[in-house]
Amino acid sequence: MIEVSHLKKWYRVHRRQPGLAAALRSLVRRPYEDVKAVEDVSFSIAAGERVGFLGPNGAGKTTTLKVLAGLLFPTEGQVGVAGFRPQDRAHGFLQQITLVMGQKQQLLWDLPPSETFLLNRAIYDIPRAQYDATVAELTELLDLGPLLGKPARQLSLGERMKCELAVALLHRPKVLFLDEPTIGLDVSMQATVRGFVRAYNERFGATVLLTSHYMEDVAALCPRVMVIDKGRLIYDGALPELIRRVRPDKRVILRFSKTVERRDLEALGTVVEHGDAEAIVQVSQDGLQAAVARALASLPLRDLTVEDPPLEEVMRDLFAQGRAA
Amino acid sequence: MSVRAALRAYPQFLKTGFASAVAYRAEFLIWMFSTNMPLVMLAIWAAAARSGPVGGYSQRGFAAYYLCALLVRLMTGAWIVWELTMEIRQGVFSLRLLRPIHPLWQWSAENLAAIPMRGIVAFPVVIILLWLARGELSHDWFFWLLLAPALLGAWLLYFLVQAIIGTLALRFESASSLFEAWLGFSNILSGYLVPLDLFPSAVRVLAVALPFRFQLSYPVELMLGRGTRVEMLELLAAQWAYVAFFFVVTRVAWRSGMRHYAAYGG
Amino acid sequence: MKALRVVSAMMRASVALALQYRLEFVVEGALAVLWMAVALIPLMVVFGNRGAVAGWTYPEMLVVLGWFVALKGVLEGTLSPSLMQVVEHVRKGTLDFVLLKPADAQLLVSLSKIEPWRVVDLAGAAAIFVYAFQHIGHAPSIAQLSLAAGLLVAAVLVLYSIAILVVSIAFVAVRVDNLLYLFQSVFDVARWPNSVFRGLLAVVFTYVLPLALMTTYPALALLGKLNARTAVAALLGSFLFASVARLIWLSSIRRYTSASS
Repeated sequence: MIEVSHLKKWYRVHRRQPGLAAALRSLVRRPYEDVKAVEDVSFSIAAGERVGFLGPNGAGKTTTLKVLAGLLFPTEGQVGVAGFRPQDRAHGFLQQITLVMGQKQQLLWDLPPSETFLLNRAIYDIPRAQYDATVAELTELLDLGPLLGKPARQLSLGERMKCELAVALLHRPKVLFLDEPTIGLDVSMQATVRGFVRAYNERFGATVLLTSHYMEDVAALCPRVMVIDKGRLIYDGALPELIRRVRPDKRVILRFSKTVERRDLEALGTVVEHGDAEAIVQVSQDGLQAAVARALASLPLRDLTVEDPPLEEVMRDLFAQGRAA
Repeated sequence: MSVRAALRAYPQFLKTGFASAVAYRAEFLIWMFSTNMPLVMLAIWAAAARSGPVGGYSQRGFAAYYLCALLVRLMTGAWIVWELTMEIRQGVFSLRLLRPIHPLWQWSAENLAAIPMRGIVAFPVVIILLWLARGELSHDWFFWLLLAPALLGAWLLYFLVQAIIGTLALRFESASSLFEAWLGFSNILSGYLVPLDLFPSAVRVLAVALPFRFQLSYPVELMLGRGTRVEMLELLAAQWAYVAFFFVVTRVAWRSGMRHYAAYGG
Repeated sequence: MKALRVVSAMMRASVALALQYRLEFVVEGALAVLWMAVALIPLMVVFGNRGAVAGWTYPEMLVVLGWFVALKGVLEGTLSPSLMQVVEHVRKGTLDFVLLKPADAQLLVSLSKIEPWRVVDLAGAAAIFVYAFQHIGHAPSIAQLSLAAGLLVAAVLVLYSIAILVVSIAFVAVRVDNLLYLFQSVFDVARWPNSVFRGLLAVVFTYVLPLALMTTYPALALLGKLNARTAVAALLGSFLFASVARLIWLSSIRRYTSASS
């Protein structure tokens, strides 16, 4: 569905310095610099996949997404989406894709969302019957009923995002580009959005490519993740495998029936947390079996669980490694 | 992006445009009330004509001229240049580009759909005009027949110029200043501030040839019944030739703007 | 003085901000010149056809236009952009940040954004005055100049007060963002001396919306045609107007803070 080979995207931007003197100087001579937003990225995504796109700010995620949507021309390399070259922005291509940006809205600000619905029905030339069915479906999935008649400016951020999603999906696109769709939303609204994206993907077999700052989004939604850093793809595969690779250690969570000396825990591995009733110890993958056996034998345990390190930590380490390399 | 698809969507564009004109009615009224320049100019000319006609215009003649100018300005409004520059700045413009119909279609519909709202303010002007200056208006039905395409042409000129300058905002940080410059020239050379036939002949020759005249002075001339039928038909042809020219420029500017946008991003 | 320091810091920030936009800076300067020409040309055409209009000769009318250009520069270069920001603050609900700062809110908001290229307007006004008095044949006396300067202060004060009043309305009814814009266009009337208008309009522009105070009286003062009683009344009236505006501003700020908390 999506084919990208050796994509490269550079921009030239004006470099600005603070202060009055620098501003005056820039009237005469404007310093430019090249920003290498995407250096060399190749991947391919099959129809119906849900893929998460991870990376720190400025890593090139949004740029890649915009190239895929046809908004930006690649500097070098080939890109194909649904059999089209996105930069041609062919009618057939635009009918099949959608882009949702968490920070940009297409709802008409002072009119009710239903008006934007009708507008998009006309723009995408959606047949009446299909339109009615889609609206009914989206209304049910997102619980839009009470929202459609109120001016968009009166809706909360979460309500607006739900309508934003519905508007973007009215024409039943086959490819969804979601850029930070959950930004600023509260936890339960994030879950709603995630659930909806998954339901849409399953029902229509659509391909989903999503960027997010919230690891939870990616973990819950995307069986496959791609990690981009400084314009290069540094990982492409399943999330658990990524975690294993970055942090080849486990966290053993211990609950005690009576207080345990820190010294006894240090014998197992690195102590992350130590309390009266509970402790967390970090243990390498290879040493896990021995450590668990030892804990069971020597400590007054009530409970023992083994977990992966938290996702946010994994990401932090991942990008820290990328920097060091 | 076929024209047929755009035309099919057009009625809905008009409906949505009307709905948003209604939603912004307060702003609309204020905008329209602030279109007062013709009246300001009328004040000085009426004072000048107290002691007798100036250059063929009596006090009543001036009243007729400036009321017609006000009417034309009220009925041919466009504001896409502001919308374009704002959307480009905010980055919402990208979302518009992803739709399978050229954005200019929707903007044109939005601007046209506001005409009923504009009519509310323009109507009293018409009444005053008919009451105060009926003797000054054209008696030839043919001129009034020409007025419809002339007004459409005037609006299209205004709209296309705004589209061209707004498209430049893709390259320059603020193209709205450029539009202000256009407005400045247009105020003088379109007959908005001073009837073109009162200018010294050198300026008049220039003003008559430039496109500004067709934005305002020409429809006003029709309403006041200046010139002959043949002359007015020729002017209509000239106006639409300018429309065609600006249409081509709009296309070129849009294409090149898009290329720049796709290379540098927004 | 603290207020002065605040003002100068705000001005520097404005200038730095304006300079960020290279093209805009050059173009806006040129635009100010262009609009001045746009204001002059109709007058030139009128007086190409008539020796005097409503009792004013061409150079006398130019003096009025000079005041108009100068005040328009003040209005559109400092007051309007700053107060537009207030309206924006009210709409976005970020006015609280301004009110939290330990300086007078009216001062903070009314000079928060300045368009430095509007200095061109003041220079243009000066040029118009010089040209006009060359035509008249004699320069204004020191007494006339100082009276005109006093009236200029009064004019700016009134202009400023009207702008503050308009913004105070924006606190109460948020959807009137464009009211300031409307006032800006009404101000265009001030380019003519008030004797151009007759009947009801003359009364409105002298007393209700004191546009005569802003351009006609200072021009008469420069020309030595203003009698002392009118001058004193104008000065007193403008201070009264400013005080009332200040009171209304304070009360609407109070109402705003109590409504939003």
